[in-house]
Amino acid sequence: MTRTWPPREAGTEQYSAGEDAGRKSSEEGRGLGGGSENSRRESGRSPGPRLRRAVAAGAVAVLVLGGCGFLHAAHQLRSDGSARNRALTDTEATSRVAGDVGDALARIFSYTPDGTAAAERSARTALDGKAARQYATLFDRVRQDLTAQRVTLSTRAVRTGVVELDGDRARLLVFLDQTSRRGEDAATTAAAQLTVTARLEDDRWRIVDIETR
Amino acid sequence: MERPARRRVPRRLRTPYAPALALALVAGGFAAWAGQDWYGAAHDDRAAYAAQRDRALAAGEQAVQNLNTLDHRDLDRGLDLWEASTTGELHEQLTSGRDGFADQVKEARTVSTARVLSGAVTELDDRAGRARVLVALRVTVRAADGTRTDKDSRMLGELTRTDGRWKLSALGQAPVGGAPAG
Repeated sequence: MTRTWPPREAGTEQYSAGEDAGRKSSEEGRGLGGGSENSRRESGRSPGPRLRRAVAAGAVAVLVLGGCGFLHAAHQLRSDGSARNRALTDTEATSRVAGDVGDALARIFSYTPDGTAAAERSARTALDGKAARQYATLFDRVRQDLTAQRVTLSTRAVRTGVVELDGDRARLLVFLDQTSRRGEDAATTAAAQLTVTARLEDDRWRIVDIETR
Repeated sequence: MERPARRRVPRRLRTPYAPALALALVAGGFAAWAGQDWYGAAHDDRAAYAAQRDRALAAGEQAVQNLNTLDHRDLDRGLDLWEASTTGELHEQLTSGRDGFADQVKEARTVSTARVLSGAVTELDDRAGRARVLVALRVTVRAADGTRTDKDSRMLGELTRTDGRWKLSALGQAPVGGAPAG
């Protein structure tokens, strides 16, 4: 900047005001592009170039910062817990996970004295992780009794609500009706409430955790 | 000698401003794009629907908890809360049955405290302002003699949005052994 001052001062002297006065004022409003030529000439008399550059730089900075601000706000809106949770907002995925989990629970908690094998087979495909371990432990303990006492259990998911659905993870609240019968006794129906955590693996929802409520 | 020099100088000096102009355009473009991105996110229907869902659930859980909480020593406050949490038919039922119910609880001298274990919205009609919720609840009842009993229940609630707030318009236990539904 500084080194251009003397020549510019000279130039200003020589440039006639008549030709430039009109152009100058119209150029002033044009910012970066228009101001450049003009500022060279005017700098001797006014703080033009410095000011204009500062204004231009400021404007660019404001635009960039503003843009960043918008992006940040947009990101916050999108990553906000409410928006990330796709329960009900994605109806297809919601009914799919609810259906898969409801069916799985019905299958793994339904058996006859002769047929715990089917329930356990279902459990192998429908359960994973902690839920699979819990289920195996439970069945190892009761398998003998089930056969001895001729217990029949049939389970139905009466209501399924998706609490949270985020990509490949989901949390559901399931109301179950469990009808059991021992030998020839009359059947009794009990209500159960479960919170279930499921994970999408190979395009199938598998239950990874079951918590009794 | 002076003239050509003068003419040349501005033209040559103009070039350093081309990048500045480009920079300004890029900055302006970036800001415009970011602003429109933000506008899109802020006016996303799905996000608005999700926000309603969460509001309905929060209100539903709170209302179900309120309606299962009552202290015989502070009946008025409890029953006021019942009325404030409800709307429509349920509200009318509670209002008309208030005195009789208050007498019963005063006599029984029970303190009921409810805790929501889990809840989920199963249906939401954002436009009509209606929603259905499932709530798993644990109610602890302390009888006059000090004995405490815990009872878990599963509730089905229907919410209606009135004046921008979600309130319970129906509440009941999920039937056991009934017909399957959603």
